[in-house]
Parts: sequence; structure tokens; C-alpha cells
Amino acid sequence: MLVKLIEMIEKNAEIMAGELKAKLLSDPACSSHQTLDDRVLYENIFEVYSRLGYWLLRDTEKGEVPTHYSALGAQRFEEGFPLHQVVQALVSTKRHIWDTVLEKGIMVTAKELDSVVDFITYLNRFFDMAIYYSTLGYYRALNLKTAS
Amino acid sequence: MLSKKIIHLIEANALQLSNEIQERLLSHPSTSGYQDIDEKTLHTWIYDVCSRFSYWLDEDRERGEVEQHYRNLGKDRFEQGFDLPQVISALYLTKRRLWEFIAASREADSALNLNQAVEASLLLVRFFDHAVLHVTQGFEDVLRSKHGYEASLSKPERLALALEAKRKREEAVYEETKLPTLCFTKGMIRLG
Repeated sequence: MLVKLIEMIEKNAEIMAGELKAKLLSDPACSSHQTLDDRVLYENIFEVYSRLGYWLLRDTEKGEVPTHYSALGAQRFEEGFPLHQVVQALVSTKRHIWDTVLEKGIMVTAKELDSVVDFITYLNRFFDMAIYYSTLGYYRALNLKTAS
Repeated sequence: MLSKKIIHLIEANALQLSNEIQERLLSHPSTSGYQDIDEKTLHTWIYDVCSRFSYWLDEDRERGEVEQHYRNLGKDRFEQGFDLPQVISALYLTKRRLWEFIAASREADSALNLNQAVEASLLLVRFFDHAVLHVTQGFEDVLRSKHGYEASLSKPERLALALEAKRKREEAVYEETKLPTLCFTKGMIRLG
């Protein structure tokens, strides 16, 4: 069932990426994201949703998660994004996944609900690390800049 | 509220949970800065969250008191010399332990159903999402007021300039492609 939930998100990745892109572009709390090219913003979101299993089921404290999100944080610093907007966008990315799971209403039986507990665990573990490493990357870039 | 029972379980076990969270913060490499804090003070910080969890989770407080509390906490931790990633990691380690507790309570007590556990976990996640966001804003407040740093896109005029630059980039992409002119030279088509 955990796999089923992940596959459901991956199959709906295109629509979901479009929905979240529109949401971020109209959300004043993420106004800096309006400066990104629409295609780039869409692809950034699509990259997470279309390969959710890849991101969720790996060791989030090693490898690609730290590298990818530290680099993203440093990039957002260079682009002049306020850090809280980077955090807010990642929280919105996570919430949109959860909203979709609830909307599709595929949790009916006890067994299905049981796997939701696992899904919540994996989802939060991944996004906690994504936010942590984005902050770390941003913060390091900020310190480098102020030190020089 | 379905999850009330679980929230009260957290509060009833606040002391034990605080001890365990404190141990994690003191031993985890991402929160090493907390080793410099007096252990009693650190315990009080953690216990304040665990022992009054239902108070903090109250939806009406999330937009007001929680925002103010965690924004101030961000400012305080900055003044105390903490790096923001350390503070965020401490919040996540706290959340993780509380989530483990919720999951274990459900397994140990059959009277707690899955809906309760899922609902409690969502409250937990929402609370910590707000806490992390506002702590970050608190750090940004001090960076701006005491160190003169402000992200460029925070300034409306810089945001407007960046949006104008984007509009021009998009115009260039969507500008109608000019068709090559066709020249006929002795039966050949030469693209002019």
C-alpha cells in the first residue's frame, strides 16, 4: 500500500506539479518564486513528484538528498530569495502531496490506513531533511559572502 | 477531537520524552551547539513544548502566539550564537521522537485507532512546520536589524526588477520566429 500511495503521486506528477506551480506563483508568502522561469519552477516540482519513491525510500541523511538540497539552498541565496520563502515552498510541496492523498480518498481499510502511517513517516523524514539541507546550503553561502 | 487522547498521552509522558529528546540533541552531530547550553535550561526548553502540547496545538494560537513565540525563539538563538540549521535540526529531532511516541502508543493501545494516530501526526507536522518557518523568520529579523543583511528579493523594488527581467526573457522566447526569406536562383531555393 505504501508503494501504491507513492505510485499514485508519481502517476499524477504532471497535474500536481502544474497545480503547485500555480499555487506558488499566486502565494504572496512565496513571491520570490515568481521570478523563476515558469518552466524551471514546474520542472523543479515535477522532479520531486515524478520520482517520489526514489526520494522517499533512500537514506535521507547521506548521498543525493544532502547534495541536491544544499545546492538548492545555495542557489536560492545567490538568486536573492529570503530563506523563509525557500522553507515555505518546500512545506507547500509536502502539503500538496498530503492534500492529494486525502482528496483521492484511497485510505479505506485498516490496512490502507496502517500504511498511511508509514507514508507520513517517510514523507516527513524526506522533507525535514530537504528543508534542513536547503537551510544549511543557504546559510553556508550567506556566511561565505559575509566573511569575504 | 479524535487525537485528544494521544496529545494528552504526550503531556502525561512529557518528563520522560523531554529526557530522551535532550539526550538526542546532546549526542546528534547536527545539534552540537546545544552541548554548550546548561542542561537544566535545555531540559526546560524541551519540557515546555512536550508538557503543554495541547496548548501549542490549538489552531487559534498557531497564527498568533506560536508565530510570536518561535520568531522570538529564532532571534534569541541567533543572539546565543546558534546557527539556524542547528535550531531547525533540534526541532526536527523533537518532532521525530514525538512521532515515534505516537506510532508506538497506537501499537501498544488497541483503543487508539489509526484515525487518531493519523490526525495527531498531522497536528504534529503542522505545528513543527509553523515552528520552523517562524524560527527562520526570527533569524532573518536579526540578520536585517543587526547585520544589515536582507535578501534582495525581500525588497519590493528588487522583486519588481526581477519580474521585469523575467518578462523580457519570456518575451524573447515567445517572440514570433521570423521565417527565412525564399530566393529563387536558377531553380535552386536559397535561404536568404
